Parts: sequence; structure tokens; C-alpha cells
Amino acid sequence: MSILHSDLHLLTGAYALDALEPAELDAFERHLTSCGSCEIEIRGLRETAARLAFGVSLPPPPAMQQRVLDATYQIRQLPPLTSPHPHGQHVLPERLARLRRPRFGIAVAASLAVASLATVIVLGIAQVRATHRLDSARSVAAVLAAPDARTGSRPANGGGTVSVTVSRTQGEAVVTAIDLPPLPSAEVYQLWLMGPAGARSAGLLPSAQHGRTAPLLATGVSNSDRFGITVEPAGGTTRPTTAPLIVMPLPT
Amino acid sequence: MVRMETSRTSRERLGDAPAEEHEGEDLGRLLSAVARGDHQAFETVYTRLAGPIYGMVRQVLRDAAQSEEVAQEVLLEIWRTASRYDSAKGSPAAWALTIAHRRAIDRVRSETACARREQDTAADDAAGMTGGDVVADTVAASLDQQRVRRCLDGLSSLQRESVTLAYYGGYSYPQVAALLGVALGTVKTRIRDGLIRMRDCMEVSW
Repeated sequence: MSILHSDLHLLTGAYALDALEPAELDAFERHLTSCGSCEIEIRGLRETAARLAFGVSLPPPPAMQQRVLDATYQIRQLPPLTSPHPHGQHVLPERLARLRRPRFGIAVAASLAVASLATVIVLGIAQVRATHRLDSARSVAAVLAAPDARTGSRPANGGGTVSVTVSRTQGEAVVTAIDLPPLPSAEVYQLWLMGPAGARSAGLLPSAQHGRTAPLLATGVSNSDRFGITVEPAGGTTRPTTAPLIVMPLPT
Repeated sequence: MVRMETSRTSRERLGDAPAEEHEGEDLGRLLSAVARGDHQAFETVYTRLAGPIYGMVRQVLRDAAQSEEVAQEVLLEIWRTASRYDSAKGSPAAWALTIAHRRAIDRVRSETACARREQDTAADDAAGMTGGDVVADTVAASLDQQRVRRCLDGLSSLQRESVTLAYYGGYSYPQVAALLGVALGTVKTRIRDGLIRMRDCMEVSW
């Protein structure tokens, strides 16, 4: 037991740098609930790691600040925790520690979901600021927040990734693309809904900022549709005239 | 043509202290103000932490667009969870950068990110470890950089490589062991010894 523990104790450094793989992370976090000295050491090593970040500080792209500050007006903050906190209580009973784990997992999953939603909100705001289409941003948010929202992404032929979030009950989808090859000004990327009756236009992808397009809202989406994107002359066409760089079914 | 509006929206809100009131304040007090919904305090937090967050995420992910996306997520997470910051568990900067590093690692360990990172690595390596923007850095940041470099120089090469591959490279320690061709246990202890030496060299208080 003591050999095992001293062995685990050596993982404080890797833990502080988020360098443990899942299985070991789990074992180490279980060990942490009963290792006060580990906790103290990790605190110091995390402070050290933060200094490593300050050592490679880089000015972020200037437009990021306004986008982030604007987005804070759209995001509700978490209330403080009011339940008694296990402060300075290093030794948690093993069963309690086990009970906590899944809740922690859920909290992490939820916070990741909120974070990716936040990113889309940021992008949505950029879109609104660019086009003043408030209604569109509200619909984008409605799709993303729909209980049946499903998201999928796929690489496109020729480079880049296309992401689709669909709400089947609303019959709407939000489409964004990252790193599609830039087009000459006479061409655009056009989104198509391809159903049994043929392809219908779902709009033109907005031009990319920092490699990423603002979200495009597609309406009238039905369950049998697939999404396709083609390169078309500026202004778009009524039927696809080139081979699609991507065809993807609705995410499930 | 779509054009980004550059006009600043008015962020004056009831209850916000004027921005200059926050300037010299420590991050802990700023975070308490942020937790109460103070947008001006958040703006000051942004100016202090966006650089290290973005710089570190960029080291890990390489791809500029993805790094910006992750840095934005992290800053909004700081806004959203400011009330959960607990000073008993560490400094505000360590709290924020722990969130940021984990978020970058989550991204790196998803497959698509890896593929794109590999493409970008060669170009970025040519541009040097911190990219071409060093000149624009603040004096404070360059002092931090000098100190980190000096302390990294004080490590054994195995310690240094283990620490930097894990933190800046975003590799797990078994991956670091494979990259360096040394035993798992060796990397495990070198990361810990190396970090402890860095801690002492930089006189980190905690």
C-alpha cells in the first residue's frame, strides 16, 4: 500500500500539467482525496505552471476583446455555492468520494456544453454586428438551445471542416465552417438541402473571419435531407453546378 | 460584402465601477467584482489574463483560429464561473490558467485537432517558439519570459524537455516518454523534479 502510494505521489507534477491519461487520472484523483500533502504540492506546482503560461504570453487578435466583452452580456453567471464546503477537509470517506465522481463528470460535461454554446454565441454576435439580423441570431440561439439539438462535423474535400447543429422539431439547422479554402471574389460557398425531390438552396456561407464562417441558419430542414456545399458563382445559383465538397446526413 | 462593425457598444451599466477604478486592483478582488456582474472589472481581468491564456493555448494548439476560439471559451468561462473561484485553493491566475490548459488539452486530444496541429507544426516551428509577435509584448510579459527562460535553463535537459513537452506541447506523460525514448517512471519523476525546481527558481509563493 505504501509503495503504491509513494508511487502515486510522484504523479503530482504530471497531474499539475494535465499530463495524466484517463485511467491514471482517475486513480490519482481517488488518491488525492486522502493525500493532504499531495494537494499542497499540487497547489504550488499549478502556480508554477501558470508562470509558464505568462512566459509565452502573446497579444490575442485585437477583435477578440470586443467579441468576448459583448458576449458576457448574453451569458448568465453561476451563483456562488452556498452549501457547506469541505474546506481543509483532506480525508473524504471513500464512499463519499465515489459518490462525488459522477457529479463532477456531469458538471464538466455541462460546462463544456455551455462553453461551446458560448463560442457559437460569440460567433452569432459577430454575425449580428455584421448584418444587423437580430432575428437570425435569435433563431440560431433557439436551434442551439433546442432539447433535440444534435451536432456533427465532417472534413470537407479540399480542406476545412463543416459543423452542423440540427433541431428536427424546429426543422432548422445552424451550419458553420472552419478553414475552407478561400475563394476568389467571384465565387461563394452555397449550402444545399438535398432531399428525395432534389437539391434546394439553404443560403450562402458568410465570408470567413479568421478562417471561420459566421453561423448560417437553414430553415425547412426535413428528416430525409442531407447537407451539401458547392462552389458557385457570386450571388449563388438555383441548382448546384459543381461537385459538392461535402455531403453529410443530419447529425444523430 | 460583409463588413465587421468596429464601433464600440456602450458597456456602461448600472453598478459597474468606472474602469480606471480597477486598474491596480489585485485579481482576487477583481474576480469577486466579476462574480457580482461587474463588466468593467471583467475588462481589467481580460487585459491581465488574455495574453497568457492566448499565448499558452497557441503553444499547445498551434492553429491560430482554434486558439482564438479556445481562448474565448476560457475567458467566457471565467466570466461565468467567477463566483466559484476559491482563494483557499490557489491564486486567481493559477485558477484561470488551469481552466485554459485543460481546455486546450481537451481540444488537442480530439482527433481533428491533432491532424490540423501536425500540419501547422512545421510552419510554426520555423517562426520560433513564441511566434513573430514578441515585439508587441508588454514589458511585464517580457520580464516573465526572461525569468521563465532563465529558470528553464537551470533544469537538466531531460527535466526541461519533459516539462515543456507536457505543458507547452500538450502531451501526456506516457507520450512524452515515447517521444524522448525513456522509461515512464523516469519522465514521471523528471516532470515533478523539474517543476519543483522551477517553482523554487521563480520563487513562486502559494
